[in-house]
Amino acid sequence: MTVIALPRRMDVQQAREDLHRRTLSEIVRPLDRLIYLASMRDYNTGVYHHDGLASRFTEEVACEALADCHREVFHQLVVCPLEDLVNQLEAYRKSTHTGPREFLTAWRRLEPYRVAVPVETDPLGAEFLFSNFKIALAILEARLDSLPAELSA
Amino acid sequence: MIQLIFFLLVGALLLSSLFFLARRGSRAEGNARVLVEARQALNALQVGLLPRELVARIFANDDREYVASAAPGPLYELFLNERKKVALSWVNQVHTQVLSLKRFHLGAARFYTRLSLRTEIELAWHFAALLIACRAVQLVVYLGGPFAAPRMVGTTATVAAKVCEISEKSLAFLNPVQFGPVADRSVGL
Repeated sequence: MTVIALPRRMDVQQAREDLHRRTLSEIVRPLDRLIYLASMRDYNTGVYHHDGLASRFTEEVACEALADCHREVFHQLVVCPLEDLVNQLEAYRKSTHTGPREFLTAWRRLEPYRVAVPVETDPLGAEFLFSNFKIALAILEARLDSLPAELSA
Repeated sequence: MIQLIFFLLVGALLLSSLFFLARRGSRAEGNARVLVEARQALNALQVGLLPRELVARIFANDDREYVASAAPGPLYELFLNERKKVALSWVNQVHTQVLSLKRFHLGAARFYTRLSLRTEIELAWHFAALLIACRAVQLVVYLGGPFAAPRMVGTTATVAAKVCEISEKSLAFLNPVQFGPVADRSVGL
């Protein structure tokens, strides 16, 4: 019997579908997906790790599938309307159970979104997204300031 | 005597041809650099700068309206400044990459591609119009803000896309060859 190896790109495509079906479908918002996928990446090597996916495919295929999904979700966020980004950021904040002041202060100071973008992303897209995050945080802060003190804590 | 002069002339002609060919060969590295730059410029334009969704979003009026209603005052100013920075960055980068493509077409392109005279004239016209349009958009965005000239931005992006389309054809020889299914040539041998 002749064993025919599938083309590699096909493996990556299958791994992507698997990742979407098992994991990403549970994460509805693109912002949450971006943060999740960035957290799968080793900061020292830039290589993505996902044990479950690697066990079903290979380390290399899993890494490429994660990188592909990361780029895709980054693009979704770059072209999403500012209002949508503000809403996603607020929903993400609520999901972390962090107080709004604490969250906004940390995000403004640390700018964690800067390390959440994929490698080799186009510079203008990243610049645009960072700018939108900055405005979204300012809008959320302004909203918070307009609330009575007891509600904004 | 005439024959001798004739053969000497032919010899001199051959020697000078060899000299020019050798000189052309020594420029190969420079030409390769131009090609790589042109390919990178084309990628930067097609993937990073000209996608319709991205251009539409940078200059989107609905974002402006949203901020104006959700957070007027200093926050609106912050938004306008931020968007202006991104818009200027966009047009600067488009200008830079178009210049790079223009350098390629003025120099190396004729060695690698055969564009018709009509296409060359069309391209020259597009380059000139595009570079002027980029400067005009820069000026308008700088003075009037990112939402001052949506039609101008749209036209610039459309002409840039047209230039990319022609450049893509000129650089097509760099693309990997797509082989079709290999015919079974053993039959009949």
